[in-house]
Amino acid sequence: MSYSVKLNGITKKYKMHRQNSDKLKDILLPGGYGEDFYAIRDLTFEAGEGDVVGIIGVNGSGKSTFSNLVANITPPTSGEIDVKGDVSLIAVSAGLNKELTGRENIELKLLMMGYKKDVIEKMKPDIIEFADIGKFIDMPVKKYSSGMKSRLGFSISISVDPDVLIVDEALSVGDKTFADKCLVKMEEFKERGKTIFFVSHSNGQMKKFCNKAIWLEHGTIREYGPMKDIMPKYEAFIKEYKSWSKEEKRRFKEEGMKKQEGLLAADSEEKGKRKKSRLLFR
Amino acid sequence: MNSMIAVLKEQVSNFYLINRLSIYQVKSTNSNNYLGMVWEILNPLFQMSIYWFVFGFGIRNGNPVDGVPFVLWMSAGLVVWFFFNPAVIQGSKSIYTRISMVSKMNFPMSTIPSFVIMSVFYQHLILLGIYFAAVLLTGQGLSWHLIQLPYYMFALIILIFAISLITSTLSTIVRDVHKMLQSFIRMFLYLTPILWTIDDLPGFIQVGMKLNPLYYIVEGYRDALLGMGWVHQTLQYTLYYWVVVVLLLMIGSYLHMKFKSHFVDYI
Repeated sequence: MSYSVKLNGITKKYKMHRQNSDKLKDILLPGGYGEDFYAIRDLTFEAGEGDVVGIIGVNGSGKSTFSNLVANITPPTSGEIDVKGDVSLIAVSAGLNKELTGRENIELKLLMMGYKKDVIEKMKPDIIEFADIGKFIDMPVKKYSSGMKSRLGFSISISVDPDVLIVDEALSVGDKTFADKCLVKMEEFKERGKTIFFVSHSNGQMKKFCNKAIWLEHGTIREYGPMKDIMPKYEAFIKEYKSWSKEEKRRFKEEGMKKQEGLLAADSEEKGKRKKSRLLFR
Repeated sequence: MNSMIAVLKEQVSNFYLINRLSIYQVKSTNSNNYLGMVWEILNPLFQMSIYWFVFGFGIRNGNPVDGVPFVLWMSAGLVVWFFFNPAVIQGSKSIYTRISMVSKMNFPMSTIPSFVIMSVFYQHLILLGIYFAAVLLTGQGLSWHLIQLPYYMFALIILIFAISLITSTLSTIVRDVHKMLQSFIRMFLYLTPILWTIDDLPGFIQVGMKLNPLYYIVEGYRDALLGMGWVHQTLQYTLYYWVVVVLLLMIGSYLHMKFKSHFVDYI
């Protein structure tokens, strides 16, 4: 199968620094300093053309790190990422300069993405039309409402016609009409065989829009498969999670923490054990 | 050496980008003031007049330097200073304040300090224009020495760029570097003979002060603007200057290349 995004054994490790002096020690000492924290651990994954992959998981499971890695914003600690074509990440009002007008921001942002002068001039009218914020386009961005900011941000990111698109919670700010407009645009992308990653806490949007789902838990993939198979499981898990007592929730988090600190191995055997133990203390 | 070539190549191939971004930089820093850009000129002019008062009348009793009126001699140095000081300071914080704007790792990071320097350079050009007007009005007049000016300007920009490459990388990793630099740079206003002449000092101190590369530039600007000398009369010093600059550039490029993919992680 031809892939458009391939992650091979990706690990993203952060150091936990409680104080600034720890940070300094980490830079100066040869072996580094501080406890490890695995935001993503040994993740292998492939998505093909035309796939719309929903990324689901509870807070802190590594969704944002995952999208940043695919978008080539942060480098992985180890492993290989292979993305065919351009990636564009859409996050709420990412990288807009508050002092400049919307129009100026469009050019600035496109320049930052590495576009040439003549291409930018061609793209501008489309972006302005899609954002549809009227006269505000010539006002400084600091006067914008948060909805306008996300409209502008979304319009810029989508206009660059990327091969891989990552939408990180960006639609949660805009109103229904704009969200629908974006979904239509993304539908069009899907038909043209582009890969889309979708991070959202709205399960409804997810189910409607995605054909695949990747369920992250503690920085590793818990399940990956068609959305219609994964979503019921995830929903069941959330329901179950909600029903747990405080003690159980705490234990679940602690276990995850331990794993992400690299104290527990993240192999499949361990996973099996964990499932059993969870059943035991229920 | 390789990283130096890579960094310089990035500058050349992204010249349009640097230019455009520097214009937006100027716009966004001045958008809040009614007078906008004018402040970038008024500020240094106010400071110049107070330095003239204190050092020209207060300390030197209005005596000329080598036959050149003190005010012109001093402002030729201050014009350099009003470019060097803000450019180095803003260059140092250029990367960590803008890294979130850069959405891709393959963005040519080394252009960030250069467009920030470039945005200060416009102000420098305008100040120079005012300086020319002053020179002509006072009847001092310009001479053929002026053709050296582009050379010294280029030399100064490269020096600032080399320093900014080092400091922008280091201050992204350890923020304190920027604070340290701020107080350190301030000393150079006095360690460089901008406001006072060093002719009365013992010889070895004079030589020691010449180790400061900014000295070379300040003297060069004076040679060019006031017709006080030619660059080929200082060949040895010129050689020393470029050795220092290339060394700084090599260190800066090495550090920049080594850390650039991890800048995001230090935020």
